[in-house]
Amino acid sequence: MSVSTSRKITPILRAELDKLVTLPLIWLTLMGTFILNLVLAAAFTSIGLQGAAGTQSILNIGLASMGYLQAGFIILGIIATCSEYTGGQIRTTLTAIPWRGLQLSAKHLALAIITLPAAFIIAASGVLYTFIMMRDTAVVAEINTMIKTLAGAAGYLTLTTLLSAAIGALIRRTTPALVVLLGYYFTVSPLTRDSLPKYFPDTAGYYMYMPPSSNEINALTPMQGTGILILWTLILIIIAIVFYCKRDA
Amino acid sequence: MRAFKAELSKLFSLPGIWLAFLIGAFAPAVIAALDSIAEKEEIIAGVSTRLSEIGYIGLGLGVQGVIILGVLAVSSEYLTESSESGGGRQITTSLTVVSSRLRFLLAKAGAVTVISLLLCMVAILTTVSATHLILGEYTPAFEASRLIGAVCYWTLTALLAFGITVLTKNSMIPLTVLLINSSLVSFSVLLSKVTKLAFYLPDRAGLELFMFTNDRFHPPFTGGLILFGWVVVFFIAAAIVFHRRDVAS
Repeated sequence: MSVSTSRKITPILRAELDKLVTLPLIWLTLMGTFILNLVLAAAFTSIGLQGAAGTQSILNIGLASMGYLQAGFIILGIIATCSEYTGGQIRTTLTAIPWRGLQLSAKHLALAIITLPAAFIIAASGVLYTFIMMRDTAVVAEINTMIKTLAGAAGYLTLTTLLSAAIGALIRRTTPALVVLLGYYFTVSPLTRDSLPKYFPDTAGYYMYMPPSSNEINALTPMQGTGILILWTLILIIIAIVFYCKRDA
Repeated sequence: MRAFKAELSKLFSLPGIWLAFLIGAFAPAVIAALDSIAEKEEIIAGVSTRLSEIGYIGLGLGVQGVIILGVLAVSSEYLTESSESGGGRQITTSLTVVSSRLRFLLAKAGAVTVISLLLCMVAILTTVSATHLILGEYTPAFEASRLIGAVCYWTLTALLAFGITVLTKNSMIPLTVLLINSSLVSFSVLLSKVTKLAFYLPDRAGLELFMFTNDRFHPPFTGGLILFGWVVVFFIAAAIVFHRRDVAS
């Protein structure tokens, strides 16, 4: 068949979006993450309120829950790719769309389209809650910095989701993929944070949303952090696509 | 007894169980070794403040292995197979063979208990030898009572994971919550800064069995009792729900 790639992309993308939107677990995860984030924001705010007045910034406290928040987005990414492999959905997918590289790229694109607004809303809700609770005691950031930081946070969460989706496509089973990613993000990475250079996906991505502090010597700028995280994500997606094209489905 | 043997054989042949064994048996040793390397100089100089945690920190984090075990033991029963192989669930077959639901649950819990006991002993063996290998004559003594505490912590946590998964049927939620909670950035540590009640959460209380940190709240025995209480509560809830629930739902 000689259909041009550009004409194939739109229907594929629409199909992938359709599949993601109709996956009930996606909505459950997003709602769960949203609620969890508010609970955590409340916890961090109440810790912040115990501290000295006027010393903390709202952004720092509102985004302190990001470390936990990413778990929800890791799950999101894994569900998106691994759900194809429970049951025989993958065979139906590949019968309908026999261009594997294109299909997986479209899936990542569709995932990004869904994740980006969700991540922004969830991150913003945490900061908003902190803002309402701590208006009088904490330093209020300028609206410009606020938007820049929130955009960074949403970008970080989206890239993390895409990275998890790529890992999910590589491992193909939900539980091992989840264990590997959670083990890295929550155990291995905090343990090795001090001894390793800051070029790993989560440590580099950290600088996308955390305001630079002056007492760190080798801190990255937000742009550098973004670049490194994008590089990691792209490399993993490419590896996933290569395996996807070569492997028996 | 035959049901118990069957459960053991099912557990050992699960796909993904290798991950539980790998993490359970070797992660504690690796973490303890890394920690010992980091602390070695201070210990030799005799100024280490974390002498009582050496080695045990590995056992505290390695519990993730048995969490995976407990979760997988139940969630694998509820996994829907692909439509090509009938789209069935293992649980229907299991309950056809062992028709008493309570006996089925007890046999499964027994199998999980035995395997996590064994796994913890292996973990203690590898951890103690790894610590000795790194620290040599400076190794702090490993007391039997604390090691028994670690074994209790592992077994009870595995059963807790088991009980929660019977309630949720899905592996994602218990796995995420418990894995994050047993990692370095646990929810409970965060919550314990907000309210003293958080010290009664299962993982905080359970860690008191063998982690003698500076900010401890319960004596070891009480800590163990609280964790046991949580396990009993979840088990009774799981037994009732499992007894009443339609398997097909």
